[in-house]
Amino acid sequence: MPRLLRAAGLVMVPVLLLAGCNSSTTKKDTPSNPNSPGAPASKDPIKIGGVVSITTPSGYSKKDTDLGAKARFMMANDEGGVNGRKIDYIGSEDDNQDPAKTTTAVRKLVQQDKVFAIVPVNTTTISGSAGFLKDNKTPYIGWGTVPAFCDQEYGMGYNGCLVPKAGHNVNTSWPGLLSDILGGGKGKSVALITQDTDAGKFGLATYQAAFPAGGFTVAYGKSTVPGTTVPTDWSPWVNDIMSSNGGKAPDVVVSIMQTPANIGLFKALKLAGFKGILTDATDYDPALLKQAASKEALQDVQVFVQNMPFESTAPEMAKFKEYISKAKGEPVTEWNQSMMVGWNSADLFVAIAKKAGENLTVDTYQAAAANFQDTYALVGDRKFPDGRNNSFGCGAMVQLKGESYNIISPYKCYPSVPFK
Amino acid sequence: MSELLVFVISGLVTGAIYALLASGLVLAYSASGVLNFAHGATAFLSALFFYEVNQGLDVPPVPAALLTVFVFAPGLGWLLDRIMFRKLAKLGETPQIVATIGLLVALPALGQWIVVLLRDAGVDLAPPDNQYGLPGVGPNPPVQWEIRHGVGIDSNQLITWIVTAVVAVALWILMRHTPLGLRLRASVDSRTLTELRGVSADRLSGIAWMLSAGLAGAVGVLAAPLLALSSVDYTLILFVSAAAAVLGRFKSVPIAFGGGLLLGVVQNLVAGYAPSWTDRITGFRTAVPFALLFVGLLVLSRSKRSAGTAAVDAPPPDYLAGMSPLRRWAPWLAAGLFLAVSLYTWTTPFWIGLIAQGLAASLVFLSFTVVTGLGGMVSLAQATFVTASALTAGLLMSHGVSFFLALCAGTLAAALLGMVVALPALRLSGRMLALATLALAFLGDQVLFQMRWLRNGDVGWEIPRPVVGPVDLNDDRALALALLIIVALVIVLIRNLENSASGRAMLAVRSAPPAAMASGVSVLRTKLALFAISAGIAGFGGVFWASFNTRITATEFTAMNGLIWLAIVVAAGIRRPQFAVVAGLTFALFPHIMEDYVTDSPYVPVILFGLAGLALAGNPEGWVVQMAEGLHALRGRVTGRGKASAVPPQVPEPRVEAGPVVALAPHADEPQDGAEAAADASDLLLRLRGIRAGYAGVEVLHGVDLEVRSGSILALLGANGAGKSTTCAVAAGLLAPTSGIVELAGERGEFRDITRLSAVRRSRDGVLLAPEGRGIFPSLTIDENLSMWLRSAAERDRVYERFPNLAARRKVVAGSLSGGEQQQLTVAPLLVRPPRVLVADEPSLGLAPLVVEEIFRFVVELRELGVALLLVEEKASEILTVADTVAFMSVGRVSWCGPRSEVDEDRLTAAYLGIAGSAASDAGHSEVAR
Repeated sequence: MPRLLRAAGLVMVPVLLLAGCNSSTTKKDTPSNPNSPGAPASKDPIKIGGVVSITTPSGYSKKDTDLGAKARFMMANDEGGVNGRKIDYIGSEDDNQDPAKTTTAVRKLVQQDKVFAIVPVNTTTISGSAGFLKDNKTPYIGWGTVPAFCDQEYGMGYNGCLVPKAGHNVNTSWPGLLSDILGGGKGKSVALITQDTDAGKFGLATYQAAFPAGGFTVAYGKSTVPGTTVPTDWSPWVNDIMSSNGGKAPDVVVSIMQTPANIGLFKALKLAGFKGILTDATDYDPALLKQAASKEALQDVQVFVQNMPFESTAPEMAKFKEYISKAKGEPVTEWNQSMMVGWNSADLFVAIAKKAGENLTVDTYQAAAANFQDTYALVGDRKFPDGRNNSFGCGAMVQLKGESYNIISPYKCYPSVPFK
Repeated sequence: MSELLVFVISGLVTGAIYALLASGLVLAYSASGVLNFAHGATAFLSALFFYEVNQGLDVPPVPAALLTVFVFAPGLGWLLDRIMFRKLAKLGETPQIVATIGLLVALPALGQWIVVLLRDAGVDLAPPDNQYGLPGVGPNPPVQWEIRHGVGIDSNQLITWIVTAVVAVALWILMRHTPLGLRLRASVDSRTLTELRGVSADRLSGIAWMLSAGLAGAVGVLAAPLLALSSVDYTLILFVSAAAAVLGRFKSVPIAFGGGLLLGVVQNLVAGYAPSWTDRITGFRTAVPFALLFVGLLVLSRSKRSAGTAAVDAPPPDYLAGMSPLRRWAPWLAAGLFLAVSLYTWTTPFWIGLIAQGLAASLVFLSFTVVTGLGGMVSLAQATFVTASALTAGLLMSHGVSFFLALCAGTLAAALLGMVVALPALRLSGRMLALATLALAFLGDQVLFQMRWLRNGDVGWEIPRPVVGPVDLNDDRALALALLIIVALVIVLIRNLENSASGRAMLAVRSAPPAAMASGVSVLRTKLALFAISAGIAGFGGVFWASFNTRITATEFTAMNGLIWLAIVVAAGIRRPQFAVVAGLTFALFPHIMEDYVTDSPYVPVILFGLAGLALAGNPEGWVVQMAEGLHALRGRVTGRGKASAVPPQVPEPRVEAGPVVALAPHADEPQDGAEAAADASDLLLRLRGIRAGYAGVEVLHGVDLEVRSGSILALLGANGAGKSTTCAVAAGLLAPTSGIVELAGERGEFRDITRLSAVRRSRDGVLLAPEGRGIFPSLTIDENLSMWLRSAAERDRVYERFPNLAARRKVVAGSLSGGEQQQLTVAPLLVRPPRVLVADEPSLGLAPLVVEEIFRFVVELRELGVALLLVEEKASEILTVADTVAFMSVGRVSWCGPRSEVDEDRLTAAYLGIAGSAASDAGHSEVAR
């Protein structure tokens, strides 16, 4: 032990010595930071980069988020930039959906590329970087499905914060849309099913609060589907659900799970003779129509969409489609949710930056973001600071019929109810 | 009841996939001894191949499936066996586990990268991402049938059942009713003995790997509609099906197969019938297969060696052994100083951040040095300790506890958890222990870290960096420097631990637990301590790693991360703590160096990390040691040329004898011997000349000369440890001599050098070894044992005519025979098809006198048949009645050789007491010789 202590003592000497000089270097690189409050306004392009899970071990890629953002920034530049300043979008880093890689991707953008903001952010592993982004005064915008977009000074979800917290509100757009379709939710029963994880249970709790607000009775609400691999056999859940409504099947089955699980569950439910409404929130993807099996499994399924559906004839949608093709450099006829995330994140950035005025600095941007309200057709009513804790609560319902999705309930915003 | 039936029937679909995976895993493991963690990755690659051939290249599904199962997957298996598994089979368990884990990481990335490259090159492949509802072999979309109200199956499920049934039957026929199956089972029983019977175990293991990969290919094709192209899912279902393999104790393919089916059913029953209170335990249902795996391992796994420790791997030569501590550590100190100076000079903030991250990772990686490097146990649960510790610290800090108290509490929590994970180590060892820790790691991810009070949802906990007086670690630079110093301290601690009494106890427990116990070391306490210390270090590092991000969420460090870490650390080198730091920095910096200077493909660093584990097949000590060795060799060459012999070598050279000189010496000065030999060369069959050989650098034979003649018995006598068995091993080709030659007379009497021929080739040339103990395959029946040497039924019938007692029990498993009968079974086939040379190592060992008499009657009979016999015996009395020539061995030399008639009591005494001819200085070697 004494030898150890001696060694420890020897090592501590340089610690103390170096500790003395470290404090002087702490703030040294701050002035060169473009995001520092004092940085003068310039006419240089605004440098933007994104972080997206382009490759993942599960084979799910959000790579078109990059294309969506590229298209929106291209449109902004075509329209003369943001208050005369062009946007230099340097593309999105691939974080592999690995938290350690997300951290380095964010650091690379901030420290090496010195971006003004990180847009779009479409990864579930951004939480570990929120502190760093705050310390470095770097705004970021993405899809608010994780807490890093909620109640953060620099982070915003393009359609608000989608992770309600106890004491805040939970939106009723999904039950509201269903209720519109059914002509009222009164007397209708729903089965809610999620995965057997903490996140699954949390999601279940939010919808258990939201659906009764739409008049529905929750006949079944369980987080019992294994969270790692998708079950290859769904009979235990199907049996359970088919008799959950007092021995009968419920009117609506709401799956709060990902595509592979939905395909399996819906197929099994249909085979078991389920005749009610099947609905989920992830399967609005024209690419799914390419495979005969998924097309068949998702036939007639009603999908809750948080953005304006691609089938919409709104002029904003036409612009979106035009610029996606332009950015891709070839005609695109198949659009997906990832493109929307990229596009809408970029759009929110452009809107806030425009509001910030001629003298765009992080401070003016933040001031503009702090109290930002407008309406954008593809997202609905954008309200901040409310959006820092709540979803905007807008959505549409589409249904897969044959070879295409049809809008069965148009894009609309719904009120929120308290979440205990 | 009908509901139960539905669960059972539909559970069999999942079970079928498990069954196919488990049987492939067991098949390859039992034939080669390598447990392939990458088996699921092979299945994924097959699924990817099938998908691209079918969807991308528009080949119809059935030909595409056949191409995958019968060409692509077996080809992959064959390739992997050639470049990797074959070499791994000869190494310790740690490199085996790690190399296949590396493969698990590298293979999917490699497949995806190749698809990207091919698409870039203009090949019309289909995009592999975001694909769901993939077509299987059958109709697309699948046809569905309702089997009873509300329950149906589709064509894909039906095909899965049919294929599984066909595979089961085919496997059974292959293993039970073909010569190949017989040899495979024989090599599972005893690899060495199989080789001694002239069957190449390498070729067998190659075939086993092809079969195993073919089964994985079938899984890929069948599971593609269910799992799509999610590489992680294929690996996860592999780990689940490992539970089925455990049921078959990794030996029995049929049990593993049945276990897989059962597992699918059990999983369904739990999902359907688990009581409602289990709903409150988040992750309960997800965790079922892993809980089964863990319990199965604990209950069913029995290891031959004492639990916990891996195979004894000899440490590499320490080139710096003679140097002063200062010189030894100088390069590392210099590297540390360079890093410290770099932080304050030329590095950019981004790279400083990376260095800090790398050093935090190094702290965690140091925990591997303790549990695996020092303790010889592979733990795949290190990421669990990191998460547990960081979450604990975060939870406490959210209640206002200071960083340092939280750090201590986190470290303590990790250490306690480490002791829980250590419990299986008290029963399990090597790969089984690794699997058990992996199961626990998954249980941690799926159950423990799903508890909301601990994980705080997806938000996690904030871990602000500490500020101590003037030292503000919020600056990355200060954090990196502080971490550098902490890493140095932990290295000092680990080195001190290694050199302390506890460290010696750990080494003792690692290499010989019974001996350690005999010396008063508590194996239990030592193993618990190893795991606790290692987990504590991982937890300690984990808090710092989390503080780098200033936040910890429960999904930050997963069990899968732990696998990659292990591959990276072991690839760099596991024995010394410094190497873990190299690994940590590589982990953080390498991908960005690659990105900046080589390629921005995200696949390439992953592939390289994985392949680094694969490189272990070449050097199990890791690449840092390999580089050091290369440097040492280079320096040796330079100084050797420059200073000649001015400086005596302080460092023991790896023991490679100056081969040619010594080997040729006896030839040079014995031409007249040669002439003499030529006189009666007609009956001389096997000749050993100047043989030097030994184990792990310790020479046992110091120049042995022996001649064995046809139709004559040479008895090799000597005390325990004289080197008799080693001589047998050299004669049979099991051990390559460091110098000297082994010659075999051809049909026309000409001598051929067979020194470099393997045991397999020698056996085919007629040189057969009956090894010490019983030369039989205990799990094979009598008939199967005979057919390993006698291929035709007619020949076996002759044995049965001669030995009616064997004939009556031909379907009985040989392991259940008495010792005498087993020895009969060893010799019987040789009487029917005599070899040219028979080397028998203590055939009378442990047998009753009457049986010994019978054995010697057979020996004499073999002599009558013209066989050249080399008989090794410790007890001289019986053998002297039959021997023609007698050779005495003493401390690695033949001290006397002559006709039996000249053997008298004095000579015997002299030989056994080791006085005759041997130099006293060699006495030391006799301890290790056998």
